[in-house]
Amino acid sequence: MTVRAGTTRWVLGRLAGASGTVVVASVVVYAALQLVPGDPLATLTGGKRLTESQLDVLRQTYGLDKGFVAGYLDWAGHVARFDLGTSSVYQDSVNSLLASRLPVSLALIGYAAVVTVVLGLGVAVVSAVAGRRTATLATVLTSGAAATPPFVAVIVLLAVFSVGLGWFPVTGAGSGFLDRVWHLTLPAVAMAIAAFGVLARVGQAAFADQLRREHVEVARSRGVGRAAVLRRHVVRNSLGPVVTVVGLLLASLFVGTAVVETAFGINGIGAFLVSSVSRQDFPVVQAVSLLAVVVFVVISTAVDLLLPVLDPQLRPAVTR
Amino acid sequence: MTTTVDPRPVLEVEGLSLSVPGHDGPVPLLADVGLVVRPGETVGLVGESGSGKSLTIRTALGLTPRRARTAGRVTVDGLDVLSAGRGELRELRRHTAAMVFQDPRASVNGSRTIGAHLVEGLRAGGVDRRQARARAVELLERVGIREPARAMRRHPGEFSGGMLQRVVIAGALSTNPRLLLADEPTTALDVTTQAEVVSLLTSMQAEAGMGMVFVTHDLTLAAAVCDRVVVMYAGRVVEVAAGDELFRSPAHPYTAALLDAHPGLHGPRAALRAVPGRPLALAETPSGCSFRDRCTEADDACAEEVPALRRHGGSDAACLRPGREAWA
Amino acid sequence: MTLTVPALRARRVRRNRRGPVAVVGAAVFLAVVVVAAVAAPLLAPYSPDATSLLDSLLPPGSPGHLLGTDSTGRDVLSRLLYGARLSLLAPLGVVLASTVLGVAVGLVAARGPRWADLLLSRTMDIAFAFPSLLLAMLAVAVFGAGLAAPMVALSIAYTPFVGRVVRSLAVQEGSRAYVESYAVMGFSTTWVTLRHLLPNLAPALAAQAALAFGYALIDLATLSFLGLGVRPPESDWGSMIAQAQPAILQGLPASAIVPGVTVLLTVIAVNLLGEHLGSSVGRTDRERA
Repeated sequence: MTVRAGTTRWVLGRLAGASGTVVVASVVVYAALQLVPGDPLATLTGGKRLTESQLDVLRQTYGLDKGFVAGYLDWAGHVARFDLGTSSVYQDSVNSLLASRLPVSLALIGYAAVVTVVLGLGVAVVSAVAGRRTATLATVLTSGAAATPPFVAVIVLLAVFSVGLGWFPVTGAGSGFLDRVWHLTLPAVAMAIAAFGVLARVGQAAFADQLRREHVEVARSRGVGRAAVLRRHVVRNSLGPVVTVVGLLLASLFVGTAVVETAFGINGIGAFLVSSVSRQDFPVVQAVSLLAVVVFVVISTAVDLLLPVLDPQLRPAVTR
Repeated sequence: MTTTVDPRPVLEVEGLSLSVPGHDGPVPLLADVGLVVRPGETVGLVGESGSGKSLTIRTALGLTPRRARTAGRVTVDGLDVLSAGRGELRELRRHTAAMVFQDPRASVNGSRTIGAHLVEGLRAGGVDRRQARARAVELLERVGIREPARAMRRHPGEFSGGMLQRVVIAGALSTNPRLLLADEPTTALDVTTQAEVVSLLTSMQAEAGMGMVFVTHDLTLAAAVCDRVVVMYAGRVVEVAAGDELFRSPAHPYTAALLDAHPGLHGPRAALRAVPGRPLALAETPSGCSFRDRCTEADDACAEEVPALRRHGGSDAACLRPGREAWA
Repeated sequence: MTLTVPALRARRVRRNRRGPVAVVGAAVFLAVVVVAAVAAPLLAPYSPDATSLLDSLLPPGSPGHLLGTDSTGRDVLSRLLYGARLSLLAPLGVVLASTVLGVAVGLVAARGPRWADLLLSRTMDIAFAFPSLLLAMLAVAVFGAGLAAPMVALSIAYTPFVGRVVRSLAVQEGSRAYVESYAVMGFSTTWVTLRHLLPNLAPALAAQAALAFGYALIDLATLSFLGLGVRPPESDWGSMIAQAQPAILQGLPASAIVPGVTVLLTVIAVNLLGEHLGSSVGRTDRERA
């Protein structure tokens, strides 16, 4: 088998595995509706009185009068055409409900991701080059951060920076770019604290591991400058674990919006998921769940495909 | 191989002592180490693991362990390394001295290309990017890499250990150093490639007229390759002699024990004898002669003080009773 | 490289000395929390549900209310002590269930037939795609608020983490000579697996369980914070924080901060213990890390 054929096969295998995961996950999400005690139709109407024709649409969309498999295929067919049904609470298409909430959540996730990566790698680099005392301090800091649940971060940030110092608003997402950044700062930091801690710890360990390696000493022995050694040898060679963790953390930020958006009164996907769960608005819950799984699968597959490009040492044997 | 003139040494180590902080106070690693290498000369540095030979040559590049304390003098091409600033050290590493490490797999960054490895050293030495690439291809060809232009784009994983060590040597020679420090450059290689790499090193060294320190634990190899051999034990120099002299008549019992422990091709086929006991670190050594616990010739006098290097025949040996003829 | 050996040895001794202080502290803290939960009725100065609007939102250190009161005048210390019960018991249940499931899955995957390994490993890969909190919320959507459904969901969500570790360790252990020699002596795979492999995995499992406990505690408290977990009149630390949120906006955050910090310290203590257990599993592992 040639190298190229091996690579193609490996990539196709990864993509097939990813699709398989999404399919199985969608079965679970569909089955959740059937698991609700009582008649699924009653769950979907949410106690509202609907006309017979509206009920027919529901039966048809969810394949309720068929067996599980045929029913799933009907539903999956709709989902595959991006028809995610109608919210039982709002009587509006899930698509438009999500579309209006997605931008603010994406802004929040993006903001949190930037904070996570900049602070996480920054602290990791500093503790890699600094003396032992600074490194110990950084370890204590990052271990604490990694263990901080977002809701604890939320209350502390609210109490200190919103109510106490009055620097940041208490609720809302703001309008216009700067106002939005100002409103989303505390929520983004609350989401980023744990992620930052995890990333910094992984980065610290990876950098420390590389610093002990001989190729770093070789570079020093040739008079390569400190910054260049860090960049080309230490950070460069740590990209494997670092990128993997960044991917996992990004994926987890999606579900992480639930707590932070709810606490800060931000009308995004996460808060929507929480309110839909408590109101049993199933079409919405299913749509957001599927979205979360797809986000996870897309990110983790992208990371898998990216790693061998970033570092030849991470190439799977078949593609060598 | 020795040059007729006696120019200024490229490396001069005098009374070098080094210790690192430990749990209960400083841990000494080197004591009173001396070494002289002149241009065009090859000096072997021989000893068991932990004897301080690698540490000695790393000190010549200012690569001492973190928070190490040093005393004595290390001069490379006129620069006092131990008191040199960061900038001076960088210049030293960029232009004056280069090092070849033991394991080429570990010493070339596996994530980057061969070209990147070579160009990095040249760029650090101030060569511009385009010239550096051209120079790197040339160097690869000189050390015997086939298709050097293609090899530049390859990763270390695609090379054998021997080929990779050639790349490392090319990298070390790229800035025309006056001093080459080779730290067990053949230990990690198969026997067949070992000979190739040694001959490459020596021919390059002769061609460029560099001074070379050849660190090895293989006394026979050192005796064959080097003009002079320095034998180290537990952080101290115990014998200095010309390669053939050392081989013919070792003056220090430790040197003799090392020779007896090695299967020779030249000498009589005597039974191999292991050196009794285990090699010690400097911190663990007894008072007086470091080797006395393992020495079959030691007596009470050996415990009194550390013997200084003294002339004996063609050697300098740190022993109160040097030379086989004095032993029982 | 031989030259740094003495230096490294010295450094390791020092690092180990710093470790146990924190670890002992963590163990003592956890012991206090557990005793507090068990002996809550004896220790709590008030009923956790006794309201007194006159005494609402007293700051910590107020006479009679060591940690102050919440917005309905309930004693925060008493609520913290009683809240510890569900806050600790629920994650404990999750950890036990996911450990048992994970051990079963991991051992079958490692020592069972090849098809079982393929099936289970693939299933675990898929399960990873569901973030634990999402699966728990899905369970709440299906079965309604309360701790039971999320506990089941989290047990399932954490199983693959345990399963993977057990599988890889069991494969490693299984290739050791002693396992083969038992097989040669005619002992069955199941017997060797349960009798010899499993005990050798115990330290790694304990470390894993400690970390999982921290995550489960956070996940369950998060659900309660979102109003999807414990239902009143039951309460845990998460619901205490949720109920105290309005008071934060009044500038009186103590009744939220106290349970928040308790959660944080508990998680840190559990993580420290877990890491300590994990690092003493194998010296070689740490040296590689």
